[in-house]
Amino acid sequence: MIKRLLFGIFVIAISSNCVVLKEYEKVNINDKDMVLGQAQIDRFQGNAQAYREAAAGANGGKTGGGCGCN
Amino acid sequence: MGVIRSLRLPVLLIVGFFFLGNDLKAQSTYKKRVLETIEVDILTSLYTQEGDNAAVTGGIGTEKLLDFTPTIVISIPLNADDVLTIDAGISAYSSASSSNVNPFDGNGDADAFVESSGASGADVLTSALINYSHSSNDRNTILNGKLSISSEYDYFSFGIGSGITKLFNEKNTEVTLSVNAYFDSWSLIYPIELRNNRYRSATYAPSFTGFNGSARNSYSVGLLIAQILGVNLQGSFSLDLVLQDGLLSTPFQRVYFSDAVDNFVDNFHLADDIERLPNSRFKVAGGTRLNYYISEVFILRTFYRYYQDDWGISSNTAQIELPISIGDNFTLYPSYRFYNQTKADHFAAYNQHLSTDEFYTSDYDLSTFKANQIGFGINYTDLFTDFRIGPIGLKSIDARINRYERDSGLSSLIFMLGTKFIIDY
Repeated sequence: MIKRLLFGIFVIAISSNCVVLKEYEKVNINDKDMVLGQAQIDRFQGNAQAYREAAAGANGGKTGGGCGCN
Repeated sequence: MGVIRSLRLPVLLIVGFFFLGNDLKAQSTYKKRVLETIEVDILTSLYTQEGDNAAVTGGIGTEKLLDFTPTIVISIPLNADDVLTIDAGISAYSSASSSNVNPFDGNGDADAFVESSGASGADVLTSALINYSHSSNDRNTILNGKLSISSEYDYFSFGIGSGITKLFNEKNTEVTLSVNAYFDSWSLIYPIELRNNRYRSATYAPSFTGFNGSARNSYSVGLLIAQILGVNLQGSFSLDLVLQDGLLSTPFQRVYFSDAVDNFVDNFHLADDIERLPNSRFKVAGGTRLNYYISEVFILRTFYRYYQDDWGISSNTAQIELPISIGDNFTLYPSYRFYNQTKADHFAAYNQHLSTDEFYTSDYDLSTFKANQIGFGINYTDLFTDFRIGPIGLKSIDARINRYERDSGLSSLIFMLGTKFIIDY
C-alpha cells in the first residue's frame, strides 16, 4: 500500500513541474464541475456510506468519529 | 491528560490563525472579497434501505431503514477575508433492526425479521458545526478552525478541527494540511435479554459483562495536494491517517456462538453475547481525483481511493461522473461507483463465532462484499440570480438520486435535494 501512496505523491510532484497556467488560461479549470471534491449535495450519500462501509477518508468527507458509525 | 495533549495541535492552529488574521487586517487595502454575499444552502435527503443481515440481531434479520435529513448551511462574509459558516441539521430515522434491541413488544411473536414497536426503533440525530476561515491578502494562505457537536439518544460527539491551505506556483498548486479530533461517548444500551433476568432459564444463563468505558476518541491528520495539470486537466492526491481508541464496539449488537446452546423466545434467538472489538483502530486512506474538461458540454470527473486498517480490512473505491451541460442553466450528472472490501479479522456470520474468541462481530458492514452504485442528478444554475424576492436571490437547485446494491443483499435508495440562495446586504 505504501508503494501505491508514494506513487500517487510522485505523480503529483512530477506533474507540478509541468505547467503553470496564468489566471486568464484557467477558464475551463474554473468551471463549477471541475472542482476537486464532492458536491455539497453529495454529503448525504457520503454519510450513508460511512455507516454502511468500513472504508472512510481521503474524499473530503468523514474519516471516523462524530457518529456511531465508522 | 491524553485529551488535553490531543487538543494541543488544533488549539495552537486556531490561536495562530486569529493572530495572523489581526496582523493582516492592519495592512488592509482594497481587495476582492473571498465571499461577496451571504449564501444559504437548504439541503435535504430521504434514504431508504432493505437487507437481511442486521448486526443488532447477530447477522440475520431485517435492516429496513428510513432516514430524513433536513439541513441548513449559512456562509457569512464577515469582512473581505473572513467567512463564518454555520452548518446545522437533523437526521430523523426509523430503524427496524434498532427496534429489535427489545423485540418483545407483545405485538405478535418476536422475530429478527419483524420490526418491533419498541422505543429504540426511531431516533433523531441533531448536529451543528461552526467553521471560521481566514484568507491572507494575497489569497495564497487560508486558515480555518471548526467546532462540531452531534447528539442522539445513545451517542454524543464533540469535535474540533483546524487546517491550513497554501497556494503556490501562481495558484496552480495547492497543499492543505488538516487535523481533527472527535471526543464521543455512548450511552450503554444492551440487548434486552442481557439486562433483564426474566429471560434467564436453566439453559439460558449467559455470563454477560458490560463494557467498562463508554468513550470513543478519533484523531485524524489529512494532507491534500491539488495540481493544475493543463488547461483542461487537474488532479489531486489526498492522504488521511486516523487513530481511534475507546469503545469501538456497538453495545446493542448481538453475537451468537456455535459452541453454545441456542435459546429462543418465540422465533427470536437470545443473544450469547454482544459485539466485542479491539479498543483501538488505525486507518489509512489514500485517494486521487482527476477531472478533465472534455468540451463545453462534457466534463469527466474520476475518483479512486485505497483504504487499509489494522483490523484486517482493505478496500478499493472507484467513481466516475460525467457532467453534461444542457444550455446555460442546466447540467445532468450520470455517475457510477464501485466499492469492495475484505472482512475484518473478527467478523463471522450468524452463529459462527466461538465463545473462546477474544473479539467477535457479525456486523456485515465489516464483512467481505462488493457494492455498485448508479446515480443521476440534475442541476439548475441561475448565473445572474434573476429570480428574486427582495434581497434573496435563487442561485441554484440540485437534485440527485442514487441506487446502491451490495452483493450481500443490502440495497438502498437515496434522494437528495439542495437549493442555494444568496442574500444581498
